[in-house]
Amino acid sequence: MNEIILHYVLSALFSAIPAVGFGMVFNVPKHALKFCALGGAIAYTSRLALLDLHMPIELATFLASLLIGTIAVYWSRKYIVPRPIYTVASIIPLIPGTFAFTAMISLVDMNSHGVTPELIASFIENGLKSISILGAISFGLAVPSLYFIRYNRPII
Amino acid sequence: MNTISYDEQTHITRAIIKAAVMMLEFGAESKLIEQTSQRMGAALGVDSVEMSLIPSAIVLTTLTHNQSVTTTRMAHHKPINMSIVFDVQRLCIELEKKKVDVQTVMERLKNIQPNYYNRWLVVFMVGISCASFAYLRGADWVAFVITFLASSGAMFVRQELAKHKFISLLVFAITAFVATIIASLSYVSNISSTPSIALSASVLLLVPGFPFINSFLDAVKGYLSMGWGRWLQATLLTLATSMGIIFAMSILNIKGW
Repeated sequence: MNEIILHYVLSALFSAIPAVGFGMVFNVPKHALKFCALGGAIAYTSRLALLDLHMPIELATFLASLLIGTIAVYWSRKYIVPRPIYTVASIIPLIPGTFAFTAMISLVDMNSHGVTPELIASFIENGLKSISILGAISFGLAVPSLYFIRYNRPII
Repeated sequence: MNTISYDEQTHITRAIIKAAVMMLEFGAESKLIEQTSQRMGAALGVDSVEMSLIPSAIVLTTLTHNQSVTTTRMAHHKPINMSIVFDVQRLCIELEKKKVDVQTVMERLKNIQPNYYNRWLVVFMVGISCASFAYLRGADWVAFVITFLASSGAMFVRQELAKHKFISLLVFAITAFVATIIASLSYVSNISSTPSIALSASVLLLVPGFPFINSFLDAVKGYLSMGWGRWLQATLLTLATSMGIIFAMSILNIKGW
């Protein structure tokens, strides 16, 4: 039991660091950085918990980003800060970077070394994975704001 | 009803489009740009603000009861900068609360400065971020340290290239090349048991995740041309990064990414 808790705590810690790091690359204002750290930790750890419940990764990602999108709406109304400032860094640990690069690399490999069934499979699998995870993240983020769009009301 | 003179309306239009272009250039999503311009327009006293957004320009019209002013601005995309988006949005909210004249708004917009972090701090933080990604994927400590070195070195190169105004495709390709070369240290005499994780985690600083997410958000909310534009931009950046990785791997003769 203790080991599982330690695993979750370490994952939360190591996903908060990239959220802050990339928040700095995107020049997020200083006072929002601690929320980015918290958001990154919440997003990654909740996805990890859902994956441990044997949920498919797309659904888990969607629910995790729905959670962080809703929390960000609450923060943004409370502190009067546009919502992307919180969400942009919080979803960084969820982004399927390696899938996207692997897909592109197999595409280039097909050109230079000839087409093989393995390369085609690798391209399609990784490309579909990255697109569906990206779609899940953005749809999860969009749902809370689509709620406010109905009457063309801004969030803040 | 007090009328707005043509001159005055021109000034208002210029202030609004300046704000809109700043938000577009520094990476705000389309819905936010449209909402902010319309709220600024209402606060400055025009009846409505209509706009057409494409990835490289904005066309914006303000309407009052008997006249309309239209203007176009080009937008040159710059690195994402959330502090500028935040400042423009804060200005818009302040405008709604109290009456401010157009000259002051223009002055305030011109004075918005990006809040840059210390570059060495950013280099360190990006290095440790990519190393954390490596840890989350189950890398051992040697691979962790090598990923840290590779991505902080790559971030330094990226800042240097950005300082000399190279186009972003070239910056991404060269940065990926440098990151892969440094990360391939983990293959030397088997010092790490997870060398491929170091290789793939060290280039994660180049994932254009934000343009991808923005493109999806724009498309979902009905801005289809903006969605396609951002999608293409992000795909090109991913391709450029892959070219850098592949070039480095073929020089070092590493197989299997």
